Amino acid sequence: MSFESIVFTLILLVSFAAFGYSAKKLISFLRLGKSEERFDHLAKRVRDVLTMVLGQSRLFREPLAGLMHFAIFWGFLVITIGTLEMMIQGIYPPFSLHFLGRIYSVLLFTQDLFAAFVALAVLYAFYRRYVSRPKRLQVHKEAQWDATLILLLIFTLMVSLFTLNGAEMARGSDLHAGAKPVSRAIAALFSALSPNALAVWSRASWWVHMLTVLGFLNYLPFSKHLHIMAAAPNVFFQTSRPKGALKAMNLEDESVTTFGVSKITDFSWKQLLDTYSCTECGRCTAACPANITGKLLSPRAIITQMRDALLEQGPTLLKQQKGGTLTSEEQELVNKTVPASWITEQELWACTTCRACVTECPVGIEHIDHIVDMRRYLTLMEGKISPEAQTALRNIENNSNPWGIGADTRADWAKGLDVPILSQVECGEVDVLYWVGCSGSFDQRNKKISVALTQIMKKAGVRFGILGTEEKCSGDSPRRLGNEYLAQTLMKENVATLNKYKFKKVVTACPHCFNTIKNEYPQFGGNYEVVHHSQFIAQLVKEGRLSVTAGKEISATTYHDSCYLGRHNDVYEAPRDVVKSVANGAFVETRRSRDKGFCCGAGGGRMWMEEKEGKRVNIERTEELLETGAKTIATACPFCMTMINDGVRAKAKEEEVRVLDISELLANSLL
Amino acid sequence: MNIVVCMKQVPDTETKIRLKEGNGGIQTDGVKWIINPYCEFAVEEALRIRERNGGQGTVTLVCMGPDRAVESIRTALAMGVDKAIHLNDPLFEGSDNFGVAKILARAIQTIPHDIILCGKQAVDDDASQVPQILAEQLNIPHVMVVEKMEVDVANKKVTTSRRIEGGAKEVLEVPLPAVFGADKGMNEPRYASLPGIMKAKSKEVKKVTAADLGLKPEEIGVAAAKVKIQAYSLPPERQAGKKIEGGDPAQVAHELAKWLREEARVI
Repeated sequence: MSFESIVFTLILLVSFAAFGYSAKKLISFLRLGKSEERFDHLAKRVRDVLTMVLGQSRLFREPLAGLMHFAIFWGFLVITIGTLEMMIQGIYPPFSLHFLGRIYSVLLFTQDLFAAFVALAVLYAFYRRYVSRPKRLQVHKEAQWDATLILLLIFTLMVSLFTLNGAEMARGSDLHAGAKPVSRAIAALFSALSPNALAVWSRASWWVHMLTVLGFLNYLPFSKHLHIMAAAPNVFFQTSRPKGALKAMNLEDESVTTFGVSKITDFSWKQLLDTYSCTECGRCTAACPANITGKLLSPRAIITQMRDALLEQGPTLLKQQKGGTLTSEEQELVNKTVPASWITEQELWACTTCRACVTECPVGIEHIDHIVDMRRYLTLMEGKISPEAQTALRNIENNSNPWGIGADTRADWAKGLDVPILSQVECGEVDVLYWVGCSGSFDQRNKKISVALTQIMKKAGVRFGILGTEEKCSGDSPRRLGNEYLAQTLMKENVATLNKYKFKKVVTACPHCFNTIKNEYPQFGGNYEVVHHSQFIAQLVKEGRLSVTAGKEISATTYHDSCYLGRHNDVYEAPRDVVKSVANGAFVETRRSRDKGFCCGAGGGRMWMEEKEGKRVNIERTEELLETGAKTIATACPFCMTMINDGVRAKAKEEEVRVLDISELLANSLL
Repeated sequence: MNIVVCMKQVPDTETKIRLKEGNGGIQTDGVKWIINPYCEFAVEEALRIRERNGGQGTVTLVCMGPDRAVESIRTALAMGVDKAIHLNDPLFEGSDNFGVAKILARAIQTIPHDIILCGKQAVDDDASQVPQILAEQLNIPHVMVVEKMEVDVANKKVTTSRRIEGGAKEVLEVPLPAVFGADKGMNEPRYASLPGIMKAKSKEVKKVTAADLGLKPEEIGVAAAKVKIQAYSLPPERQAGKKIEGGDPAQVAHELAKWLREEARVI
């Protein structure tokens, strides 16, 4: 072995050992988390990795930035093969992959091309970070430093690769020059140099390249760039729960003394892995309605603050776990809780659980779960929940609706409409169980939607019934306000009621009830076909069971996507179909729509809370809806209805613009 | 410091009150029962006094009511009350305010008590009588409509503050033991934590009957009631609003005045 090979081998060994040490430490931190089953549904997991990791699907939600990352990602994959080859050559110089034959040529060609792509992509990344500076990349100094260093390292890797190939080619010692068009162009620049100078360029480039690779490897564990190791497994381990479902807490186990998440050790290992995967790209925060309207909450910060907590507490927690005695300072450190020392209650309560962050995240981070888990702790253990939200919860406890209106008046909206109540229907059997929900039963404005839907179902000859006073709050708001105890009580009671009756499907006009009954009731033995009224009405229209005067709604109409219908349940077309069936072409889309739709501000229990921080979310959204010039704003959710209505009134536009539920639009056009 | 809280279970304010046939009182089926909101302030204040006192002392709940009252008792226990005495005996039924106070007094005499907290009134009959009569029965002082309490444990006295007519505040100093009637604004009652709810299941609820208190049937219930209920009737149904139309404000004002005088008879 030459002296150079010996030196390189030693450096390589030290680098790998150091990386191994860092990696082991990071993995041991993950083990501080609680166990959680994430090996089910393997086919789905593999599919996610194929689309989200190899296909980079989420990144392309921003086309240019997506292309940039795609180039760097795939460049990294192909070039790594070459890097490994170079490493082996460093130890044993005669080694080469040329035995692969034609494949080798293709490989070299791809590497050469991708190295150029990567270099260009890095330049574009620099441009974004220092010149165009989109808001999500305007980060604090350390993060900016971290990003800059990473970009410089990648750029150095590509440049040194080209100077190495160029110098080798100019010396005439590259046997595969034909396969490397970009390097050949570089070689032309080297043609004037002497053979000695070329040899120095070649060795120097090789060493710069290899040392940068090894330096990069050992910088990773301390950088946001750790995502290149953690993101793929994180995508693989994404939850297999339906999108809109929160995980069920075990409230039966009497040995459990603490509920929800407060300490870093209360999180599951997957939740901790989320923190390693975060690249701080800020797509989540850029889409967050709370953040956009000037609130402290930033989904990105939630994740990085969790990571800070983990990295700060990790070593001491491990020491404690191994039975070591802690100094008083260390004890103080491990006693700290995440939703107090790293994340504020203000941030946690600002979330509307609209799922914009989760939808944008390229690496499968589950922000809503983290936030709700910490809310669960605040509500169930500490009672630290705003007085208004507390009032709503008490009202639900006493009268099974958040307004606290007498439970015995739940079916009063239907008086005189001849709506069958299931307990009074002979044999208790109907085709459609119409789940009215609290808004549809008690809120003055939303009761009109119940009347419209009733009218539509009667017109179409649907055999339906309601539960009347047997219906209770679905549990959506209490669950998202962290009161899992109340939520589970309600869900179990409702499941018991529903199971008494025979029906083919549940239809509801409330996306929150829809989501909870469809996606969360199965956790408590309630398995039903649940359909949102937009889907149901669209189906009735399609089947020709309703005769509608198309074109009656001649004023321009836009539609506001409900988060729990859209992002949580992928229902985008049905409500649009209903609107278009009457709007006759005069339909305008709003700027942020479908899976990029902007929350009304009422999700996640925020409906029942004051909003004093920053601009009101509903105002921001209403302004955007008004920008379209539409004279009718269609909604498909009672909470959205309330929020947008309030917004329109706040903008003093109620004389010109009406807010109607899709069912009202249709009922107005019934023949 | 031994704190006793008297609590009454009442129908939720949103409950639609229906009357029984004849003169039998209100129909109790379908009624949602809750802790009287003023009693809830009393419970919360008791817990806060104990917390301010470094967790020293016992908070005992005393509640008179039928079996259904246990649910409300458990809610108070979940908030953090230590134990409860449930005065539950058919003989207690039909007691008037005086009778209720007598039964409560008898029960409280059997346990150590420094501070007795009550709601200033119950939102069902709004009589606002029991705390005062209770104090008389126990021969100790009382302060009603209390908004703020400062307890001086060492000197066994309480400084209270309460709102009085004209927006003024009245500050009183009372030696213990004494009865206090809690007003709204005293505190914001806590939301029971889940561990609290779990713990409440195993806390002691002692059922006490008339015989246990040495009360004879003729001393309590309907038999001893000094106030006899003659009849129950519902308030008249609310009429739809009246709109006085017309462009001339003077004319509208004239009509309104006429209506207020002749129809509504308020001026």
